Amino acid sequence: MNETAFKNVKSLPSSHLLGTGTPMCAGCGGLEALHEIYDVLGEKSVFVNAAGCMTLLAVYPFTPFRGSWLYTAMASAPAGAQGIRDALDILKQKGEIEEEEDLQVVTLTGDGAAYGMGLSATSGVIERNLDFLYICYDNEGYGNTGQQYSGATPHGAKTATSLGLSGFAGYKKPLFDIWAAHRPAYVATVIGAEPLDLARKIEKAKSLKGPRLIIALSPCPTGWDFDPKESVNIGKLAVKSGVWPLKEYVDGQVVHTKLPTRRLPVVRYLETQGRFRHLFEPERQEGLLKEIQQRVDEYWAAVTC
Amino acid sequence: MFRIRFHGRGGQGMKTASRILGTAFFLEGYEVQDAPRYGAERRGAPIFAFVRADRRPIQERGIIRQADLVVVADDSLVPVPAADVLAGCDANTVLLINSFQSAEVWRQRLNLQGPILTLPAMEDVEDRAELPYVGAACAGAAAGLSGVIGQTSLEQAIAEELGHLGAAVIAANLERASNAFQSLSEQAGLVKPGRTFSAEGWQTPDWIELPFEQADVSAPAIHAGLTSEAIKTGAWRTMRPLVDYARCNRCWWVCSTFCPDGAIRVDEERYPQIDYDHCKGCLICVAQCPPHAISAVAEHLAAEGVES
Repeated sequence: MNETAFKNVKSLPSSHLLGTGTPMCAGCGGLEALHEIYDVLGEKSVFVNAAGCMTLLAVYPFTPFRGSWLYTAMASAPAGAQGIRDALDILKQKGEIEEEEDLQVVTLTGDGAAYGMGLSATSGVIERNLDFLYICYDNEGYGNTGQQYSGATPHGAKTATSLGLSGFAGYKKPLFDIWAAHRPAYVATVIGAEPLDLARKIEKAKSLKGPRLIIALSPCPTGWDFDPKESVNIGKLAVKSGVWPLKEYVDGQVVHTKLPTRRLPVVRYLETQGRFRHLFEPERQEGLLKEIQQRVDEYWAAVTC
Repeated sequence: MFRIRFHGRGGQGMKTASRILGTAFFLEGYEVQDAPRYGAERRGAPIFAFVRADRRPIQERGIIRQADLVVVADDSLVPVPAADVLAGCDANTVLLINSFQSAEVWRQRLNLQGPILTLPAMEDVEDRAELPYVGAACAGAAAGLSGVIGQTSLEQAIAEELGHLGAAVIAANLERASNAFQSLSEQAGLVKPGRTFSAEGWQTPDWIELPFEQADVSAPAIHAGLTSEAIKTGAWRTMRPLVDYARCNRCWWVCSTFCPDGAIRVDEERYPQIDYDHCKGCLICVAQCPPHAISAVAEHLAAEGVES
């Protein structure tokens, strides 16, 4: 990125567009990412929200947005975005709105919808080359209903539906790859704890046309079981340990935007969260810890840029 | 019938307290209902849970309006209208409150006729809301005040309800619950079962019919943004972040960017200004500030003007 307006952290926005007073949990990593994204995206946007934690962002008659917000069923947010985009295009065609009155159509869903229930609708809109932005706040479980496992839950994590000593038996679905395989205009991973990287990616996404999709890893004090004040520290550890690679797909290429030169051991990340405590207590599960570390190592061994 | 209501904040374990108490009553041979109730808000927001226990089948449903015992895990909830802590409190209601203030202060402040007790706490903590295992202590205290639950049933209920959390967690909860149970032994039986209500003799009230409004009046379109700012989430906070402006290096961005709620604004002088009407007290700013210019002070001390 050469022509970014975000040269360094000093150029990050100092006043914020998203309203306060939302009922998201104290220390919510998803809200943190969203408010950073909204600052860059701007108020000329309309949000299509799938059922999830952020359903509660706009509980009638209260909204933290400056523009409109539409609520859909869990699997249908991309379809809702298609409807709004089409309506805006028709209004433009008829000359009923001017080009500068046009809005960015933004789909906002959690990982339950993005990795699971809404994946088919997302595939459909990418196929139809819908001009929209998808933001997934990924807290690695169905957080709104008590953190049952989702397609985004990492291997070994305890959830409300994976209570055994070895936690969740499945593996986090490679949603970035699944989305990128559709060859959309843009795919990126971000995290609120790395606001400069996030701002540059949203800036780039905003400048492009077509399907643009963002996954924001969202440390969740309630679902991951940690003190809310650790939210940003845990986000930084996710990046430094290599668990959450920051990358983007554009023009058919995947590029890592932050290459951890000296990766921290994954246990440094895992030990901060109650959902992984069973890996350390009452007995340290060396086998499982080794497997988790190995998978991260294998990922980075294959990374060239 | 015993009607017992627990008030706390999401995360303090009031739902678990109601389950423990309900199971303990059940083990003593009672018919039991226990249920939590919370709105759409989460951790930090006011929630309540309630338990009904009777020797006969319970026909009552719904929330408990008139409780025989009200347990308050967090005294900062008392003035919060949404928490409705004092709902239905009368001369027969026992109020048990977790507070630094004495029962006498609360009696004067609330002008209540019924008995008021404070939760005995073993730990010396700055923030009473952060008392470890406050839920277990509340359940133990309620069991003790009922006078009909034995310590064995209380312990078995804790083991059953918390079994999935492992031996260490059970042991810590058992200790807190037993301490609270025993320290209230002199008051055992202070909470008396309330009378049973009957539908017989119920008469239709003298209603005044109010017709429904048209949809455009009762649910008008919102034409303004940012209306969520009318909701003061600052009431969630138990710890308050305070900026030491002499230490602040005016970095411009750290606390303001990382605050999930966008409740920190940077002014023209590049100093952060915290919006206490909306700050939920997550304390990310305290953890992130590079020169450690932000510290956390218990809300009750901050309200008295004490700086750390």
